[in-house]
Amino acid sequence: MRLSIWFVSALLFLLSCKKKDPDTQPLDNFIKLTVQPTYSSDGQQNIQLDTVYTTSEGYKVKFTDIKFYLTKLKNGSVNLLESAYFDYRETGLLLAKVKGDYMQFPNLQGYIGVDSLLNHSDPSEFPNDSPLNISNAGSMHWGWNTGYIFINLEGKVDTIPNDGIANFDHNFSFHIGTDSYRRDFDFTNINWQTASANEKVFSLKLDLWTFLHNPSNPIDLKTQFLTHTGSGQQALTEKVTTNFKQSLISY
Amino acid sequence: MKYFLYVFLLIALIFSCRKDRISYKATPYTLEIPSHFPDMLIPYDNPMTVEGVELGRYLFYEKKLSGDNSMSCASCHMPNNSFSDPNQYSTGIDGIQGKRQSMALINMGWEDFFFWDGRKTTLEAQIIDPIIDPIEMHETWKNVVSKLNQDVNYRNRFYRAFGESGIDSIKAAKAIAQFVRTMISGESKFDVMYKYENGMSLNSTEQSIFQTIDTEEWAGYDLFKSLNGADCFHCHNGPLMRVKKFSNNGLFPNNFNDLGRASVTMNPEDNYKFKVPTLRNIALTAPYMHDGRFTTLDEVIEHYSSGIHMSSTIDPLIEFGSQGGVQLDAQEKYLLKKFLLTLTDQNFINNPKFQDPH
Repeated sequence: MRLSIWFVSALLFLLSCKKKDPDTQPLDNFIKLTVQPTYSSDGQQNIQLDTVYTTSEGYKVKFTDIKFYLTKLKNGSVNLLESAYFDYRETGLLLAKVKGDYMQFPNLQGYIGVDSLLNHSDPSEFPNDSPLNISNAGSMHWGWNTGYIFINLEGKVDTIPNDGIANFDHNFSFHIGTDSYRRDFDFTNINWQTASANEKVFSLKLDLWTFLHNPSNPIDLKTQFLTHTGSGQQALTEKVTTNFKQSLISY
Repeated sequence: MKYFLYVFLLIALIFSCRKDRISYKATPYTLEIPSHFPDMLIPYDNPMTVEGVELGRYLFYEKKLSGDNSMSCASCHMPNNSFSDPNQYSTGIDGIQGKRQSMALINMGWEDFFFWDGRKTTLEAQIIDPIIDPIEMHETWKNVVSKLNQDVNYRNRFYRAFGESGIDSIKAAKAIAQFVRTMISGESKFDVMYKYENGMSLNSTEQSIFQTIDTEEWAGYDLFKSLNGADCFHCHNGPLMRVKKFSNNGLFPNNFNDLGRASVTMNPEDNYKFKVPTLRNIALTAPYMHDGRFTTLDEVIEHYSSGIHMSSTIDPLIEFGSQGGVQLDAQEKYLLKKFLLTLTDQNFINNPKFQDPH
């Protein structure tokens, strides 16, 4: 009996002293995409929503919403992400965060806007965490035929600054959608920044000064303040689409 | 050694005589979500159960939840009015009126913000408030729990719903939330129009409804969606007939100068913004707007047509605001109203599962 007690005690002692296995579980690697909207002629001033800025024409302008979709993000045949949604008001600078190895993405291609097949799918059928699910898309989805709003820039502008009226005299609303206004993007030689041991970041800039003041394609908010990609709005729709693409650049 | 054996046997005897706990596992509830709707995300800490939903239904119609046992949730959310209040302002048990119109309870399981100013972000948290609000049901949860505890049926229903004895405010709110999540409206004429235009298959019942849709209703739907027409769909689209946002839709500030969302965020950029409500069952939920200022759909249509009040926080999507509105003519107003009436879902308000069980 005494022998048994000694044996059990020794066993307990040995087990209690057993060194724990080191945690050998590898950490997942993440890729993060961010977008910093800016508004200044040198492209260095970060924009704040609902804050008054001035255009080169002297108009007071404030942005109230900056939203857009990128889809089919990949490098050649290596896919990164089906869709990413930027909503400056709701999620700040974050465009997407996804598991992945940045080494596979020295370049990144895709669409500004929504791939045609996705654009006309049942918006309720996407996974619950997809930016394209109708619960997440909300006002960015027009309908099955027209599809999603690819680019949504909204704000207010005061084009008559000395009229004594404090209110901004009209809104501007650029809603770009439909398949023919989807555009490609191609970022090459990406400079991935290290955010942490297992997270790399690709920072983009949305230069809204250049968007409005593109030398070859300026937008005058006094007269060019509304397009919903409708018939009769093609000229401004084209201009917004072109300028947006040229304003979305590597930071 | 013998001593140890006796001790062991005694312990074994004690444990063998211990009364078994009677456990009850609630039955999972399967929501009937229309095929053209997105999934409903259920909170992990309040799974849907048959017993929970049934308890919630009893509580929704339970007048003991109010200070003088005269009001229930259904007093301001009446089935015949698509679970809204036909009065401009609801009156609490002390005869005091609120300052906002009671919101209709339709498809609440898809909402992320509750109340007109969105001050609550879960259904469970929203449900807690009206019971203790002095201008509404004016009761304490302590008293509510005490009253419910005196009823053996409630003690049993809570036990079956949550698998443990005891009643408290959290369980009560969870049960009511479960019931409210079952209140799904997706069987209106509009639903058939939505499914048809998007190439989704229609069952035989929907085929029959489809045959009754007239050209004026289709024309009204086109107008509803038209950018140069009524332009309603920017804020009211998709199968849920709303977008998730707070909007200043061009109303004159009311006598209370209700700031809406800004009273929650303290951000002046949110002044006069209110939650965009669904248009489902709109014909049943008069009066309209956050303060019930409009008594008819005609008045609502006229507001968007010619009554827009411009202000610094007006929604940029009110694109013709500077002209007073979208300037519909009489025929267009008629067609738009015809479409709005297709959003009525009689099956929803008459569903026996949503009626008073008492």
